[in-house]
Amino acid sequence: MTTLERVKECLGKIKKENCKINALLEIRPEGEILKEAEEIDKKIKRGRAGKLAGKIIVVKANINVKGMNISCASKVLEDYKAPYDASVIERIEKEDGLIIGIANMDEFAAGFSGETSAFGPVKNPVDKTLITGGSSSGSAAAVAVGFCDMALGSDTGGSIRNPASICGVVGLKPSYGSVSRYGLIDLSMSLDQIGPLAKNVKDVNLLFDVIKGKDERDATSRECPAQPPQSKRGEIIVGILDLDCLGVDERIKELINRKVEEISSKNGWKTKEVNIENIDLAVETYYPLVYVEFFSATRRFDGRRYGKKIEDAAGPEVLRRVLGGGEITKAEHEGRYYNSAIRVKEFIRAEFSKNFRSVDCIVSPVLPRLPWKIGEKISVEEGYAMDVLTIPSNLAGNCSISVPVGKIDGIPVGIQIICDKFEEEKLLGIARAFEGD
Amino acid sequence: MDFLWHKVSEKEWEGIRVEAERVMNNFSKKLERVKGNLVESFFGEEVFEREEGKVPCAEIDREVMFGNAPKKNDDSIIAERGGW
Repeated sequence: MTTLERVKECLGKIKKENCKINALLEIRPEGEILKEAEEIDKKIKRGRAGKLAGKIIVVKANINVKGMNISCASKVLEDYKAPYDASVIERIEKEDGLIIGIANMDEFAAGFSGETSAFGPVKNPVDKTLITGGSSSGSAAAVAVGFCDMALGSDTGGSIRNPASICGVVGLKPSYGSVSRYGLIDLSMSLDQIGPLAKNVKDVNLLFDVIKGKDERDATSRECPAQPPQSKRGEIIVGILDLDCLGVDERIKELINRKVEEISSKNGWKTKEVNIENIDLAVETYYPLVYVEFFSATRRFDGRRYGKKIEDAAGPEVLRRVLGGGEITKAEHEGRYYNSAIRVKEFIRAEFSKNFRSVDCIVSPVLPRLPWKIGEKISVEEGYAMDVLTIPSNLAGNCSISVPVGKIDGIPVGIQIICDKFEEEKLLGIARAFEGD
Repeated sequence: MDFLWHKVSEKEWEGIRVEAERVMNNFSKKLERVKGNLVESFFGEEVFEREEGKVPCAEIDREVMFGNAPKKNDDSIIAERGGW
């Protein structure tokens, strides 16, 4: 299939289905897309095309794509047009990836269900009454229904892996520093990462290879050290995360355990139970960091540069984080909340480092529960606990991936595989084995 | 409560602030369980220095950039004191 044929197929699906699931907020003009597709096909014929030639891509609405409305799914930025390309976008275009549109998301990435978008929730392609997970809700749903081959998302506490699991696609959170965040509208700069979503591990790997690496415009980015995809020990030892006190649904536990046993025995891998001390405090550690960093990041949305002040135009979840962040950063608290969270973050990071000396990866479910109905009433704490299993990787800076491994009541369930920092190559190799059948 | 987006009323605004404070206080209390300190080491592995003038700038479309601001002159955004 040529790029032109493929993109026409995707655009056809979008016209028919997007009104039903609300995954995409903006599509580039069709004439422009088709012309670009023809150019890519010419390059392919000449044998001069880049690594992403023929791949159709959508981008989360918090990553700047020049000339597009990068609204962060918020009324605050509903008229904002990006004046430049994020570094990841430059890299994708250089390799002939065809970006066709912008994906819906939780407002300012402040969400875990896909419900907090000011332009309406993204609906689950499997059951439209259910949430998709978030915050990269539109990216995951767009890949799942075939609006595109690949998507970019961002992950601060699980925002790529969470919707990837619920929508039945693959989603990678790279190690902190693996991918440049230049051009990402940040939620929490010490935790955010941009990463790929696709239908399979191979495509996730391909997009990651293009976007990874040091970028002078993001001082936290670095080259991933070249590593053999296999274990240094010559055999893989899989750490199985102790899920006690994390409130995981028994059916999910059982499905994941069965899959780990099956794949480990098929590949001759060993397994070992792993306990990460203080992992039950991951949510309590994460939110003070996010509230404070988000409050700080949003001071630029004061109405002068983009027209609307965030406190006047944001929805309840964004406002909760902005007002909460404002409260706990008051001088009278002397940084107590933030410092306390940073302190525990370091303990959790050290626990992961210690455990990676004896195992190659750590596996767990991606989510502790199945998705709820859109608009269902739940408490703030219950909502925040949705990311209890994904947040630890962000706190530790590790790489982790969600791979679909089965269904419960017809809803896809993903396994989370975590590897040490900058071991993406090994992680993707292990993920391929889980994807195998 | 649900997590769906809606316009926040003045009355709800204060409720959200109080609730956020309550959540932060509860979380902070739980973190007290962990005693001691570890030195933050994640960034200690590499020196981040840029060579002055060698960092490539992004191509910024100034027309689009200024187009985002509600009040502007030819090449500056107008920000009146007390206006934000």
